[in-house]
Amino acid sequence: MLRKSLDKKISRRKFLGTTAASGTALAAMGGGLSRVAFADSDTIKIGFLAPLTGPVSAWGKPGLDGCLIWADWVNAKGGVNVGGKSYNIEFVGYDNEYDAAKAKAGATKLIKEDGVKFIMMLGGDTWPGVEKIAEREGMLFSTLLPSDLSPDSTTLVAPCEVHPIYNVTGVEWLAENKPDLKTAVMCAQDDSLGKPSVATYLAAFEAAGIEMIDDPLFFDPTTTDFAPVMTKLLAGNPDILCLDTCYADYVHPLCEQAFQQGYKGQIISCTADFYQNIIEKTSAEFMEGFIFQFPDFDDPALNSEGVNFVNPNEFYTEYAKRYGASQWGAVSWEYASIMDLWADAASRAGSAEPAAVLEAMKAGGTGKHAFGTADWWGTELFGIDNALVGDWPVVVIEGGKATIKEFRSIPAWWDKHKDLMIKHMTALDQMWNQRG
Amino acid sequence: MPTAGPAGSIRRAVWRLRLVFLFAILAALPYLLSYSQQEIAVLLVINVLLVCSYRLLTLTGEWSLGHVVIMGVGAYASALLAKQFGVPVPLSMLLGGCMAAAIAALLSFPLFRMKGFYFLIGSFAAGEIIRLIWKRFTDPFGGPKGLKRIDPFPNIETGFLSIDFYEPVNYYFLSLVIVSASLFVLYRVERSRIGLTFHAIHWQDRLAESVGVDTFRYRTLAFVIASFFAGIAGGLYAHYVGAVNPTRFSVDQMVYVLVWAVVGGTTTLHGPILGVVVLTVINEIVLRALGLDTARPLIYGAILILSVLYLPNGLESLGPRLRARWRLWRSGPAAGGGELA
Repeated sequence: MLRKSLDKKISRRKFLGTTAASGTALAAMGGGLSRVAFADSDTIKIGFLAPLTGPVSAWGKPGLDGCLIWADWVNAKGGVNVGGKSYNIEFVGYDNEYDAAKAKAGATKLIKEDGVKFIMMLGGDTWPGVEKIAEREGMLFSTLLPSDLSPDSTTLVAPCEVHPIYNVTGVEWLAENKPDLKTAVMCAQDDSLGKPSVATYLAAFEAAGIEMIDDPLFFDPTTTDFAPVMTKLLAGNPDILCLDTCYADYVHPLCEQAFQQGYKGQIISCTADFYQNIIEKTSAEFMEGFIFQFPDFDDPALNSEGVNFVNPNEFYTEYAKRYGASQWGAVSWEYASIMDLWADAASRAGSAEPAAVLEAMKAGGTGKHAFGTADWWGTELFGIDNALVGDWPVVVIEGGKATIKEFRSIPAWWDKHKDLMIKHMTALDQMWNQRG
Repeated sequence: MPTAGPAGSIRRAVWRLRLVFLFAILAALPYLLSYSQQEIAVLLVINVLLVCSYRLLTLTGEWSLGHVVIMGVGAYASALLAKQFGVPVPLSMLLGGCMAAAIAALLSFPLFRMKGFYFLIGSFAAGEIIRLIWKRFTDPFGGPKGLKRIDPFPNIETGFLSIDFYEPVNYYFLSLVIVSASLFVLYRVERSRIGLTFHAIHWQDRLAESVGVDTFRYRTLAFVIASFFAGIAGGLYAHYVGAVNPTRFSVDQMVYVLVWAVVGGTTTLHGPILGVVVLTVINEIVLRALGLDTARPLIYGAILILSVLYLPNGLESLGPRLRARWRLWRSGPAAGGGELA
C-alpha cells in the first residue's frame, strides 16, 4: 500500500530534487536570517555573548532577560538618540556555553553577520577566545569580570561589576558591625573566577583583623558532593564561613550542607542568586544575616539620589512579573545598567561606532555607574584604567529578604589597603602581568 | 571484500569516485556557510579527528574517560612549545601529538592492569590528575585561567600567494588536510594486521593471548596511536582558538565525545564521524538558526535518548538498514516485502 502511494506521489527524481533544495535552504538559513535583520536601518543592534545554558548560565540568561526589559522601555520612549536621530535597540543573543571556542564563533557572528555595535560578555574563560577578534575588528566589548582586563585589550571595559574588588565592602561592613567575629574559613571553585576572589577576601579579612583558621579550600568545578567540603571547613569551628564567588550551583548545596551539619555562625558570600530557593531548602532563621553583594532592585535604598540606575523598583517589579521573583539574580540588572552607560555615551558621541562610544564613555575619567558616579580606574591591578569603580552596596538577608545595609566606597578601601590586595593577588598569580 | 578481477576493479573505481565526490563537497562546503558557521566547521573537523582517534582505542574493547585530557596534553604542549620556546607552530603541533603519545605510553602501565569498568574509572582518575597539575602549576600552565594569546598558525606569504590562517575558511582547509591524512593513517592501521589484532583482543582476549598475542603491548599501542592523533587535534584547537584552560578538557567535554561515538556507532570509521557531524550541525547550526539557543540541551538530550532507543547500533547502522529495506521493497510482495511496516 505504501509502495503504491509512494509510486503515485513521489518519484525518485522529485525526492532527490526536493531533498537537495531543502539541504541548500538549511545551509543558507543562518546567514539568511541575519541578512534579513540588516534591513531595519532605524535599529541599533547590541550583542549579548554569554552563557545562556549550562552551569554558568545563572550569570548570563537573567542578564539577557533584564536587557529585554531595558530595550522594551527605551524603545517605548522612542529609542536612543544618536546624532539627532532616534534608534530602537535590539539585542542579539548568542549562547557561548562558557566556552572560548564558541565565544569566538559567537563574536564573529555578532560582528560580521548581525552588525552589532557593542557586545556585552560575562568574560572569564570565554574572553581569551574573543580577544583577537576584538583587537582586529576594533569592537567595543564589556565584561563583568575585570580580571579579563589588560593593556593588550584596549576596547574591553568593565563598566558595571568590578569583580571581585567590591567584596571588600562586605567584609569591611561585617568587621565594623560584628566585631566579635574574629575567625574565618573559605572555599572556592578552583577556576579563574574563584582565585582572584579568594585573594580579595584574604586581603579584606587581613585588613579587618579577621584571622583565617586554615588555607582557602579550593574544590574542583566538577564537584557535586559538598558534604566533605563543608565538613572540612567547619572542623575548625569558625566564626565566619566565606563562600567566595561560587557559582549558584555551588552556593546552594554548600548552604544546604552547612545547615545540615548544624552551622550557626555568620556566612558571607559574593552572591546569593535565587536565595529564596536556599531559604526553602534551609530556613529563614539559618539564612538570617547572610551577607552578600547583590541587592534586589525593589529595595527602597536604590531610590536615593546618587543611584543612576533608572527606575530600579519598577525594573524589579517588571522582572518579577515576566520571569518570577525567584529568577532574580546577581546579573539581572547589570547588563541593563551597562546599557544605560552605553546609551548615554552614544548620545554624547553622536555615533554608535565603537571607538566613538568608548571615547565618550571614558571622557573626563568618570562615568555614571549604576550606584553613583565612579572613576575609570585599574592601572595598578589590571594594567589599564578600563574599570569603572565607585560605591557598592552591602546586602544582608533580613526576615527572608535581601536588604541593602549601606553603600561603601571601593576606592576608599583601596587607598588604605591596596598593598594587601596586591600582595594576595600576587601570591595567587592573579595580577594582570602574571596571567598565562 | 573481493579486490581481484573486473568486479574488484569496478568496486575500487566506485570507491574512488565516492571519495572524489566527498572531497568536492568538503571543498565547496565553507563557501555555502556563513562566516560564523565556517568557525563551527573548523571545530567540527578537529572534533572528527578527536572522536575517530577515540574509536581506535575502543577497538581493543576499552572505553576511556581521559581522551579529552589527552587532547589537552597535545594542546598545552604545542602551545607552550610555541609560546615559550619559539618552536614553529607546525612542528609544535607535531611535538604536541608526540607528547600526548608519550604520556599515554606512561599511563598505560597502571591503566592496562585494569579492564572494562575499572579501566574507565582509572582513565578518569588519570585525566583528573593531569588536569589538577595544569591548575596547580601556574608556571608554566597558567593555572585555572590556562594559557592565552597562543601563537597562531603562521600565515603563508609568497609573491603570488597570501594565506591568513586567522580566516576560518583557510584554517578549515588546513585542518581538513591534516585530519584527512590522519584518518587515512587510522584507516590503514585498522586494516593492517595490527588492527585485526586489536579486534581480536576486543572480542577474544584470552584466545588471543593463548596464541601468543601480547595483549598489554597491543592495548598500549592502540592507546598511544589514539593519543597521538588526539594530541594533534589539541594542537589544531589551541592554535586556532588561541587559548586553552583546564575546564575545556574536563569530563563534561568527554561526555560529548562519548555521545558522538554512541550516537554515530563505533563499528566503522565513518560511524563516529556521522555522530559528530549530525549532532554538531543540529546543535550548533540548525537549532541556533531556529532561535532555540536555550532549548538546545533539552533537544540534544531528546535526540540522544531517541537514537539509543531506535538506533542502538548508531547512525552507521541506518544505511545498511535502509538498504536492506529498499531491497526488500523492490523484491515486491512475492518476497514478503511489499509493505513497509
